[in-house]
Amino acid sequence: MANALGMYRTVKRLGIPDSNIILMLADDAACNSRNKFPGCVYPAAARDLDLYGDNIEVDYRGYEVTVENFIRVLTGRMDSSVPRSKRLLSDDRSNVFVYMTGHGGNEFLKFQDNEEISAFDIADAFEQMWQKKRYNEIFFMIDTCQANTMYSKFYSPNILATGSSKLDENSYSYENDMDLGISVIDRFTHYVLRFMESVNKTSQATMQDLFDMYDPDKFASHAGVRSDLFNRPIDQTLITDFFGGVSQAEVLAPEEEFYYSSTPEGGHQQESESFTHVDSATTSGAVKSNNDEIHGYSDLLSVVQDLQREPPKRDTTGLFRTWVSSGLMFALVAWVSMRK
Amino acid sequence: MALVLRAKFRRWLRGGDDGIAAKVRRKNQINDIIWKSLPSIRLSLLVAGYAWMLAIPLPNLGRNTYIDENALQPGQVNTYWNWPHVFRADRYLESLEQLRDQNSTNAEWAGYIKHEFRDLGIHVSTQSYHFTNASGEYNGTNVYAVLSSPRASGAEAMLISASRVSLNGNLNLRGIATVLSLAGYLKEYSLWSKDLVFVISDGYLEGMQAFITSYHGADEPNLDADPLTLSSGVIWTALNIDYPGHSFSHLGVFFEGLNGRLPNQDLINSFRLVSTYTGGVPVLLYDHRDPREVPHLESQLSIIPTWLPDVVKKQDAVREYGFRAKNILKHVGYQARGQTNGVHGLLHRFRIDAITLFAVPSSGPHGFHALGRVVESTLRTMNNLLEHLHASFFFYLLVKPGTFLKIGTYLPSVILVSVSMMFTGLGEWTDARWYEDLSKPKATDKSVAASGGIILLERPRPVLQALLIMLATHLAGVALFYIRTSGFAGLHPETTSLTLCALLALPPLFALIVRSSPSERSAPIASILKAANLCLASTVISVTSVLNFSLAAVLAVLLGVPLSYSSYKSALPAKIGRYAIYVGLGLGWLFCEKEVQRAIWNWEILGVWFAPFVCVVYTPLVLQAGIVSLLPS
Repeated sequence: MANALGMYRTVKRLGIPDSNIILMLADDAACNSRNKFPGCVYPAAARDLDLYGDNIEVDYRGYEVTVENFIRVLTGRMDSSVPRSKRLLSDDRSNVFVYMTGHGGNEFLKFQDNEEISAFDIADAFEQMWQKKRYNEIFFMIDTCQANTMYSKFYSPNILATGSSKLDENSYSYENDMDLGISVIDRFTHYVLRFMESVNKTSQATMQDLFDMYDPDKFASHAGVRSDLFNRPIDQTLITDFFGGVSQAEVLAPEEEFYYSSTPEGGHQQESESFTHVDSATTSGAVKSNNDEIHGYSDLLSVVQDLQREPPKRDTTGLFRTWVSSGLMFALVAWVSMRK
Repeated sequence: MALVLRAKFRRWLRGGDDGIAAKVRRKNQINDIIWKSLPSIRLSLLVAGYAWMLAIPLPNLGRNTYIDENALQPGQVNTYWNWPHVFRADRYLESLEQLRDQNSTNAEWAGYIKHEFRDLGIHVSTQSYHFTNASGEYNGTNVYAVLSSPRASGAEAMLISASRVSLNGNLNLRGIATVLSLAGYLKEYSLWSKDLVFVISDGYLEGMQAFITSYHGADEPNLDADPLTLSSGVIWTALNIDYPGHSFSHLGVFFEGLNGRLPNQDLINSFRLVSTYTGGVPVLLYDHRDPREVPHLESQLSIIPTWLPDVVKKQDAVREYGFRAKNILKHVGYQARGQTNGVHGLLHRFRIDAITLFAVPSSGPHGFHALGRVVESTLRTMNNLLEHLHASFFFYLLVKPGTFLKIGTYLPSVILVSVSMMFTGLGEWTDARWYEDLSKPKATDKSVAASGGIILLERPRPVLQALLIMLATHLAGVALFYIRTSGFAGLHPETTSLTLCALLALPPLFALIVRSSPSERSAPIASILKAANLCLASTVISVTSVLNFSLAAVLAVLLGVPLSYSSYKSALPAKIGRYAIYVGLGLGWLFCEKEVQRAIWNWEILGVWFAPFVCVVYTPLVLQAGIVSLLPS
């Protein structure tokens, strides 16, 4: 639980607003009657930092945290009644950070003790997101036993993934709180969060720096990284590309701007920022399930990248379609008037 | 090559070209072999069964206990029970000692305890009860208090109890003082997810029996108890604290419940871990100290016979065997009699996992301080539960603290004996069907020659008579039970026992007058009776073995050989001698007055099935074997 809340705190600290974070917590540990410190969740036995605090927004909790809801959040297949705060409002310029933790095994992660999500489910959900243009890049992080198996099935582009332990390895907890009588945080997440404390909004730390910090001796497991689907060099990919709400201003040529805004994408739930040239990181989130699962996503819009990726082919077809339909219209009118 | 071999093997299996005939032939051969070696098969099964029983305490059998329920997390919390709370317990103890010295009545005890609970600000009430049975009446007053869970619904509860009389017969003053001081201390915590129910029960077992049956609304015909005014949720787990001495060296765990029920092993294991690591108190099974740890008492504590040469006695394996055997024998003693040693055993009936923590009296080094910490931490562990204890074992044999046998490693011993008895019975039954035809000249055809030239003829078997005899013995058993538990028997136990013994043992002697059947054309009743007797006994043992292993093991030991080798083919004096042995085996218990009284008390007050089982099942089975030996062949 503190795993997920720790990530939540980090992405929020780096400037991503709650509206862009989906936090799923399967258990209400803070208000559990067995909690000796009601309303608090601490990531360390020293209890110097309360992760629950006054300002927390849990989007999915308790029995709402199901495999179905998680996949719906990712793929955006939502009932129209679902409020915006519970949706992943991303588009093809969004960088999404997904963090999951809980009890897992070879190619699965348990949700709520009665169901589980498999590596294939997540891989397919990501592919659907790609086809529906719901992300630009995904950073997937998972802390569970045999975590690295969870990203082994991914096949969609632009995904960077990391996990806490390889096949047949357990992920261990970092420390126990002897007053609560439970382990409070896992090793992998503890060290990632500790690394993140050194990152601020203007940090130039890259993913490579994060991965270099991995140490099998400290983790008691072999953390893994999968970057073959990711088409940027990871030593040039900033941590803040996924974790931070970093605003960058870039001046574009006027024609280009006009050109872009006049042809909005077909994608739904387009953020209004897409019409500005200000490039603002929007969402990040943590989704938490079971005891300790979190999934988060962070989402960074980058106009420059988008323009590179998107060829302006669509415009000629549009033009063509306009002329053809106009021509048909004229033909119809001519034909009707000829009959009279 | 392999293919050729396989084809050959198949051909051989199929029996060459003449398939079906060969199959039949082979089947007959196998039947023949089994039939001929039946006596040795039964004997070897019997021997294997008993040998297995003797092997149960072997040092290299068994595995270490482990925690199966992940939620329990035993021994992972800091405890804050400390000297101020010990001081409070000491003050309670002083007041309780005053009550003892003034010879206070039950009501005065209850009044004092109730007053103290009320002072602590916990809802408290008392319950008076009144038991009647053949041997007398039992009155008393229980005090119980309910501390509602501060932040949860209180649908579940944990029970902490202390009976006024300890299981060793002394007053459990320190146990009561511990519960009182704990109640005040635990109230300061807000993290209880279950209600805490504190019960100070009167007497030894009666008080709790009155409380727990009223709590669950169970109907007890001989109990007249006040209804409970305070209620709580479903009780999941319970700890009973028994601290009769001044200090203690070890905490002993008593866990057998009524009718041989056992609590979930997770509870015992959690307690053991907490006690060892949080409290620093080593755990014992019962009050059995390992003789090797106290060399100066070794000869007293060990059950290894003293006449054994030192070379054998000092072997580590032998000492380990002796230590384990002692624990197992004690367990069998409790479980087979369906008896409990402590208040915990009364709760199992209501699906409450409960154990008694017995502070083994000693001159030191532990006292309230260690006990309070152990109970606090164990309660925190039980508090973590989200579901009833279910993950770990309900059938197990603890051979020493931290080591147990799974059901698969001890159950077969009894089953082997039972199977041997079943084979003997079926063999007898088949035997009874045939008789040797001596009138005809020896046939010359091949099949007869193969069986030694003997021609066997079929004959009817008098099943009805045999079954009637069995029914009569069981009915006599019912009568025996009612007479022995009647008020008259309670007043004149010895006269009743003698009369009953005579009434049951003499009528079968009429069997001696029965003429042996004129011809061999009908099977002797004795052989049918023996067959039915063995089959019934075997079934009883097998069925009992999964309900109450210890009882089944005792039955297997007592019935296995005597019933299998009952014989009706002997001369008159031998017949009488055999019968006398059976009577001794089947009715001898009537003269163990103390044992009989305890069994009857257990039946009347606690509803333990041991007494009726012995009267209605065990004694009749032995008497049937006795009648077999009296009947003519």
